[in-house]
Amino acid sequence: MIIELDEFTRVEGIGKAEIVIENGSVKEVRVKILEGPRFFELLTVGRNYWDVPDIEARICAICYASHSIASVRAIEKALGIEVPESVEKLRELALLGEIIESHALHLYLLALPDVYGYPDVISMLSKFGELVKEGLAIKAFGNTIRELIGGREIHGINIKPGGFGRYPTEEELGTIAKHANALVRFAKRIVSVFASQEARGAKVEIPMVTSEYLWGDELIVGNERIQYESLDEVPVQYSFAKHTYYKGKPIFVGALARLLLKGDRLVGESSRLLKAYKDKIESGYVIYNNLAQAIELVYALERVSELASEIASEGIEKGSGEASEDSGEGIGYVEAPRGVLVHHYRIEKGRVVWSNTITPTAFNQGMMERSLLEDAKRMFGREPEDRFKNRLEEIVRAFDPCISCSVHLVRL
Amino acid sequence: MKLGVFELTSCGGCALNLLFLYEKLFDVLEFYEIVEFHMATSQRSKEKLDVAIVTGSVSTQRDLEVVKEARNRAEYLIALGTCATHGGVQGGLENSVKENMKKVYGDIRGPTKVLEPRAVIDYVPVDFAIPGCPYEKEEVFQVLIDIAKGVDPVPKDYPVCLECKLNEYECVLLKKGVPCLGPVTLGGCNAKCPAIGLGCIGCRGPIPDPNIPGLVDILKEIIPEGDISRKLKTFTRW
Ligand code: SF4
Ligand code: SF4
Repeated sequence: MIIELDEFTRVEGIGKAEIVIENGSVKEVRVKILEGPRFFELLTVGRNYWDVPDIEARICAICYASHSIASVRAIEKALGIEVPESVEKLRELALLGEIIESHALHLYLLALPDVYGYPDVISMLSKFGELVKEGLAIKAFGNTIRELIGGREIHGINIKPGGFGRYPTEEELGTIAKHANALVRFAKRIVSVFASQEARGAKVEIPMVTSEYLWGDELIVGNERIQYESLDEVPVQYSFAKHTYYKGKPIFVGALARLLLKGDRLVGESSRLLKAYKDKIESGYVIYNNLAQAIELVYALERVSELASEIASEGIEKGSGEASEDSGEGIGYVEAPRGVLVHHYRIEKGRVVWSNTITPTAFNQGMMERSLLEDAKRMFGREPEDRFKNRLEEIVRAFDPCISCSVHLVRL
Repeated sequence: MKLGVFELTSCGGCALNLLFLYEKLFDVLEFYEIVEFHMATSQRSKEKLDVAIVTGSVSTQRDLEVVKEARNRAEYLIALGTCATHGGVQGGLENSVKENMKKVYGDIRGPTKVLEPRAVIDYVPVDFAIPGCPYEKEEVFQVLIDIAKGVDPVPKDYPVCLECKLNEYECVLLKKGVPCLGPVTLGGCNAKCPAIGLGCIGCRGPIPDPNIPGLVDILKEIIPEGDISRKLKTFTRW
């Protein structure tokens, strides 16, 4: 017998799951990614490198800046383009803005109804209106940063190899710094909301992040450092997203993985919160990915305030974007809100001739199935079918899957 | 009035952008009850709809069924975003979807039948189309309010170039030699990209009667000819 979960709601993109029951017990879980393939690797091939970051941005609206930045980093490595410190700092600012926008979207609009048992936030407005409005304010602020650095709230084309089309003014940066500070108080409140969730899902066994908090030159798997090519990408019959394994095991990326491996990066309020909820985070249950995101939200707001003031007071050095080579190969690793993102290109005479992308949600596929399997085993036969299905959907949601992102992996 | 939002293959941006209406979303909710919108609510319904919004391109059998369902249930259907109105980035792919599937997935066929990515308007009649990758929020807000008040919304039909001129921006194409698709791209974004010195990449799709040969003549002086057709095809299959 197969129990079909309906298409997932309150997640980005189209997917569903099947629970396979044999002899009265749960045998297998299949996550079916139904979103149509979008073939981004094929779309970039043949294109002038200059146009590529704008195309890659369209992979995902929730994290377009992460895609553009992973793309420019790979291009810069391939073509020997130097980037001044100020440009790097502005990119960090954009990525933090994206974490703010994306985590706020997930926590307040998509996951919050699970905590209080509602179908959506709209029906929560009369009782929890204030909390929801705080969330919207944080989300809007994250978008303000994306608009300032990226050029638009969604799919801006301001992020270019070597620098930006337009640079922010001192005044704009000052406003950002002030505003971020004021929002920290709101974000702290949502941390305690998500700390109240009970432990569920599978336990994270192999966490994985990039080498530094928001980008690096390799992947960290436990105590090892590897290039992404050591992972295995496996297509599966029932899904448009491939599975990714390391030495035969599923991997896990995202906020929880970042805090488990790089939590020492946090300072100030976020570091105090991480200590306060250490037991929950370290237990490694995937449901606490929500809590980890809430703590990161506080971190990002604090860091934005500090970083924006720093850039404003130092003054901005613009990049020239000058390439020293016209051919080469480069990989860009960036931490998108949902975890590590990889863009890899080979460029010949200024044109992309080969490209590969792996997104966080694709990395998490295997772990998602494992989580559903463990919870389904725990609950099957003990819960009425409706509740059983809803509870499983909540676990899927805790991964904050971004399905559009996951459907165009290819190694040409 | 009852409103449904349906998502097909896309980046999720056009659906997400509705949530980015912020306070204006509350204004929309004064006129509309959202009865279906999978990104925002777990509620599902089979009710008749006064207005349905479809975002994304028809790229799978599942998408095709969803778009037909939306058409059957809705009094007024809006194709929202360049994926829905012109096919979007996936619609600009050069080879057939069969060949592309083979390259990406080998012999694996996937969970549902894959179709050539096409605009919603290629499959069902729509009452209004709002392009943009993503669209301008102000535009969709205005259209929803117009419909609620029984006013016919007005489509835009002029190129980005016109907005550049009205804003008195320096022409990036003729003055700076930056490749720009503004002359053949539907306006409505207030010439966002030329405003910051970058060329338009055509994210709002083509105007109804584009003068392609004229633009190609100018672009030929700036970039190789092969790049011109690639650029034009970024958001739509011509
Ligand atoms: S038109 Fe652009 S923003 Fe809208 S869904 Fe398609 S790719 Fe995303
Ligand atoms: S200028 Fe062109 S590419 Fe830029 S937002 Fe407008 S239509 Fe899109």
